Formats: sequence, structure tokens, C-alpha cells
Amino acid sequence: MLYIHRTACISPQQSFGEVDIERLNESVENKLHAVEPKYEGIPPGLLRRMGKAVRIGVGAALPLIKQSHMPDGIIIGTANGGMEDCIKFLNQIIEYEEGMLTPGNFVQSTPNAIASQVSLMTANKNYNITHVHRGLAFENAIIDALMHVRENPSHSYLLGAVDEISAYNYNIDYLDGWYKRESVSNKTLYTTNSPASLAGEGAAMFLVSGKPENAIAKLSAMHTIHTGDEDLVREQLKNFVANNLTGNQQIDLFITGENGDNRLQKYYDACEDIVSTDTTIARFKHMSGEFPTASALALWIACWLVQHQQLPSHMIKKSSNQNQTEQILIYNNYKGTQHSFMLVSKI
Amino acid sequence: MPYFFIHTQEKKLSKIFVTGMGAISAIGNSVAENRTALIEEKSGIGKLTLFASAYADKRPCGEIKISTTSLKEKLSAHEPGVTRTTLLALHAFEEAIFDSGLNAEELGAPDTAFINATTVGGMCLTDELYHDANKTEDGSPYLSSYDCGSVALYIRDRYKIGGIVNTINTACSSSANAIMYGARLIHHGLAKRVIVGGTDSLAKFTINGFNALHILSPELCAPFDKDRKGLNLGEGAAYLVLEREQDIHNRQPYAQLTGYGNTNDAFHPSSISEQGDGPFLAMQQALHVAKIAADKIDSINAHGTGTENNDETESRAMLRVFGSPPAFASTKSYIGHTLGAAGAIEAVYSVLNIYRQEIYPSLQFKEPIQSTLLEPVLNYKKMQVNHVMSNSFGFGGNCTSLIFSKA
Repeated sequence: MLYIHRTACISPQQSFGEVDIERLNESVENKLHAVEPKYEGIPPGLLRRMGKAVRIGVGAALPLIKQSHMPDGIIIGTANGGMEDCIKFLNQIIEYEEGMLTPGNFVQSTPNAIASQVSLMTANKNYNITHVHRGLAFENAIIDALMHVRENPSHSYLLGAVDEISAYNYNIDYLDGWYKRESVSNKTLYTTNSPASLAGEGAAMFLVSGKPENAIAKLSAMHTIHTGDEDLVREQLKNFVANNLTGNQQIDLFITGENGDNRLQKYYDACEDIVSTDTTIARFKHMSGEFPTASALALWIACWLVQHQQLPSHMIKKSSNQNQTEQILIYNNYKGTQHSFMLVSKI
Repeated sequence: MPYFFIHTQEKKLSKIFVTGMGAISAIGNSVAENRTALIEEKSGIGKLTLFASAYADKRPCGEIKISTTSLKEKLSAHEPGVTRTTLLALHAFEEAIFDSGLNAEELGAPDTAFINATTVGGMCLTDELYHDANKTEDGSPYLSSYDCGSVALYIRDRYKIGGIVNTINTACSSSANAIMYGARLIHHGLAKRVIVGGTDSLAKFTINGFNALHILSPELCAPFDKDRKGLNLGEGAAYLVLEREQDIHNRQPYAQLTGYGNTNDAFHPSSISEQGDGPFLAMQQALHVAKIAADKIDSINAHGTGTENNDETESRAMLRVFGSPPAFASTKSYIGHTLGAAGAIEAVYSVLNIYRQEIYPSLQFKEPIQSTLLEPVLNYKKMQVNHVMSNSFGFGGNCTSLIFSKA
């Protein structure tokens, strides 16, 4: 059981500062780029040297830390970290034939640069870790945080996830067939009936503890699976819900990671199958785009919804007569091989 | 107040035993071969021959003398897209699971977890990555193999591991954190048995990165020596099988994992603070979790990279924790700094210290650092070893210490 006390999110939508997720920002050239705020509290010299992943990660983390005491740990999930810096350094190696290189991009390119930069800027010497397990990097960060709050319920932890679109990882995933070949807008993402999705990026941060006082939401359970078998996913989702809901509770809202990739539709169809007609079904990838830690944005959206009780109409796939959103189930899937379920409840 | 592992649940924690090990490094293709080289004081560091590099003659490396093609043959890993980092991992992983006797059913069980660590992943394929990242046509067969997660995902698919699977990257402390995470999964009942460790292969990327930071030695590295000139990069992989006391029945474990501590030095992106605050806190925390006093530690497998900054700050931190530190050595003088694999390979060596009741010397040491005057172990010796500490400190201030104890 993880109690979420504060959240911050820098995403392609208006999710930071004055939040407005009713309005949908449009994708440009099949990419949904993060809307970066004016970063406060980061010295300009330092900000200039930061790659985007570090910038949006640190930018989302700092406001949460500023508002509270020193977190007892910093737990970050990121599949790629600073990919832009990584390839910039690689390009220098090739183009200068291993000549005299400057180490700046190399140091910024290590995925742990985000968590360590947060520690460095806030002089935090506590637990510090970076999980990089591709589509389940954030979920493993959650497992880590869950274990920590069980060990020390009164401690608080900064839990979060970051991934960036760089020209380079866009090319790699495009060549591998994960981004659409044809020009598609996020407004019509779910009707394309073609393989692949749109590229996305973002950072979502959560201040969590084992204490319910002043919490805004509760992550009651989380489960991960590695499989390509949609029937196994459906079975496990059914068990997950049965094991974690008590008698009279029901799923009010089911948020899925449906991403317009027709090769993955079978997983979403199988999972939607297990909820009743009283459950509203919603989607979020048209807001975030696809990236390995997009499930962190789904969790941020779920926290926002249980708090504000306003489901943007552009998210709805199938409505119900449900007008209260107390229990939210999230199902995400990365490239058809890594799956996760989360159960988020109102306090 | 630093983080401490406080057991608020009064339930007594299971003891965690090491029941299997596998390792491959510049000094051997198995745990047994590694041990022989350590006893015979044979370094595996030398000229880089694996791939062409401007630094091949200028910066010695700890490379494994088996080509990527031979590894594919040996391991029957012919899928397109399998990288050297994955092959090294597979080599050590197979030795570890065979050693502990885990069968297919156990590997596939939902309570078997696999926690990997790597920092290089598929980036060892510099030229392929350069092409794929900069072009939008003619993708190579390695498009899904560059990221860190690709290694664990390949092994998971090959062995159908049924439980939690994860990859950690905290730079040079990555696999020490994989071991710690795996142990905590067991304590929390999220796994009954875990296979934990890490892998990294030599890459133009890391050679140039560390060289740009001016911390690659032109000579064989000399950890804790007054005139040390930097580190040598190495490659390798190691995995440990950890199981609960109640599940091992009549099998004889190698050692017990008793302590772990993870902290951040919060000082600089690529160097450790003068007094070694992060290393000091990590060691202190590991002792706290193991519930033993500092003077119970019989030997330390130091991080000991051979850089100006690490060896001096680690020495200060050891002086702060121990007053008069116990026997310590850096086995990086045999295999180089294997980055994401270092914590796991050195954990295997630490477990051997206990299981074989012996300690291995540091190589290339001549004179101590003036300000700390610490001398590492210089000769192989048999001795009573009940508790060993293994240190791993990384870029970004990520510091982790582990403690293994006699089972």
C-alpha cells in the first residue's frame, strides 16, 4: 500500500503548474513533445548543461521536495535516461575518430544522472536508485518504493519516472517499427488501424509514504508480467482485481494504454473484457504518446482524477452511468511483452 | 538522519543464503578459474584486441579472450540481435543456475525473480548504434538490443523466468544494488529465490568516456598505491542465486547475505567527496542491517578503482568506519573495472573468501597514500573469515556496500 501525497508532471499536455487536461495539445510530426515550464530553482548555468531527460526529471522532482522535508529515498524509473547526450557522445567518438573528447555528454548520458542530480541539488544522502527495465522501469521503481514504505511507513520517498524523445531513440524505434510510418494526429490515434504508435515523453513524480494522513490517493496494488500471451494477461488481470477489491468495491474507471498499434489491440480487447458495463473505459496515450515509462503518466492522471472527479471527454472510450471515480484500474503494455496493472483509489 | 532499514514488522526475517554462483572475467570463464587466478596472483589485464580502438595500445583492459562468435556457438545463442553483453551474462547465469541446481520448473515459478544490472547494455555495438541512431533506413538486427533492459529480457525469454524481472543501472554500483533489491524481494515475500548480478562488456563508448575524464591508466592499475594513475576498464558478468534458509533443505550454502546499504554521496556527478561521506554511510548502513559491529568484519573487497579520487576517499571512509580497517584488497587489479558487473563479480570473490576461508591480495601496490597510510593485503593467505564487506561506488554518487557472512 502506497499513499501518494503530492504529484508533479511535465508531459506533452498542460500538466505542470496550472493543470488543464481538458484541452488536448496536438502532436507534431508524429511526436508529442513535453511542454517544458520555466524552471525555477535550477541555476541557469546548470540548466544549460542538462539534457532534456535530466531537465524534465529534475524540474518535476524539485517542487515536491521543496514543499516537504528531505525524502528518505529517491527512486527513479527510466528506460533510457539521457539518450540525446548518449548518442551525442557516441557521434563524437565516431566523427572525431576517438580524438580528444569532452566528458560532459558522457556523464549526463548515464541513466542514473536524473536521480543523482536530484540528490546532488537537494544534498540528499539517502537511498538512491535508478531502475531501467524498459517498459517496466517505473513499475520496478514502484515495487522498490512499496518495499521501503513497508519497512518504514512514516518515511517518505520520491518515486518517479522519466523518458525523453531524442532524435536518436526516435530513429531506432522508428526503424524497429514502433512509430507510425504515415502521418497521424493524436486526435485520431485510435482509428488508424495500422501498426505502431506516436512517440511521446514526460516526467511524473510522486511523493509517497505508508501514512494515509493528507494523502491524495492510494496505490493499493501493482503487478507486472512478461508475456506475449493475451489470455494469460486477461487471467492475471482478473485475479489481480479479485484479490485486491473487497466485496462491495468495484472498478469505476479502467484506464488502458491503448496506443493505436493494431498489433497490440488484442491485449486491450482481452482486458476490457473483464470489466462490467458499470465501468467507464478511458485511454491516455493520445495525451502522452508512447514511451517506456508512460505508465507513470497514467498514474499521475489517475491521481488527478480521484482528486478532481473530472474525466476529460477526449479520454473516454466507453462511458457508463458511473458518476463517482473512486477505484481506478490501469492496464499498460509495452511492445506487447511487458505488462502492468495498477489499482488506484480515492482516499 | 540517513536512511536506515528499520524492521517495523516484528516478523523475523528469513536468512538469505547464497546457493549458486557463476562468473566470467578476464581471469577465467568460471568461478573456479577465477579463484585459481586470484590464488596464483595472475592479472588478466593487457592489450585490447577485441575491437579496433585508438586506445588499444595506450590503455590496458581486462578483456575476456573469447570472441563474440565463439560465445554464440558455445551458448547456442544464434538469435539475431544478441550482444556480447548478453552473451557474457548468459554464460555466468547458466553457471549459477546449474551450480545451485535450479530446474526449469523452479525458474518458471512466479516466485523466482531475476534482477540484472548493466550500464553498457547493447552499446558495445558502437558502429551499429551510430548507424541506427542517425539513419532512418536499413536498420541493423540490433534495434531492440541497445538498451539496458535487453539483456534481462533475453534471459527471461530463454528461461521463462516466472517472477519479477528487473534491470538496475546506478553506474559502477549497479550489480551491488541488484543483489540488494533481490534480497529485499525475498524479505518482503515477493520472491522465494532470486538470481541477481550484472554484466558489462568492453565498449568504445566507455573507453572514450572514461578517457575523456582522464581516469584511464596507461599502465596496469595500482589500487591504493601512492602513484596510481587511474583505472583499467574490464568486462565480465556474475550472478548469485539467493534462497531462503527454509528452502535450501540439505544443500550446503556458500555464505549468507547479511547486510546492505545504499546511499548517495550528493557531492559531484563524477567524483566522491573528500571525506567519503557516501561510502562511509553505505558501509555504516550495511553494518546496521547486518547487526554487527565494525570490528567483526574480517576483510573488505574495496571498490579500489585505482583512480586518484576513489582510493583516497574510500581510504578515508574506511578509516572513519573502522578506525583501523581490517584486511582489504581491490580485485580490480586482476580484472579491471567491470562497471555494471563489478559489484556482482566482487560479491562472488567475497563469498569465496568466506567459503574457502582465504583472502586474495591486491596487485601492483608499492607505497601507501601519504594522507591515509593504508596498505592492502599483499599476499594470498588462509585465514578465518566470518564477515566480508564488499564496496561499490559509482558516478552520480551512488554508493552501495554489501556484507556476506559465514552460513
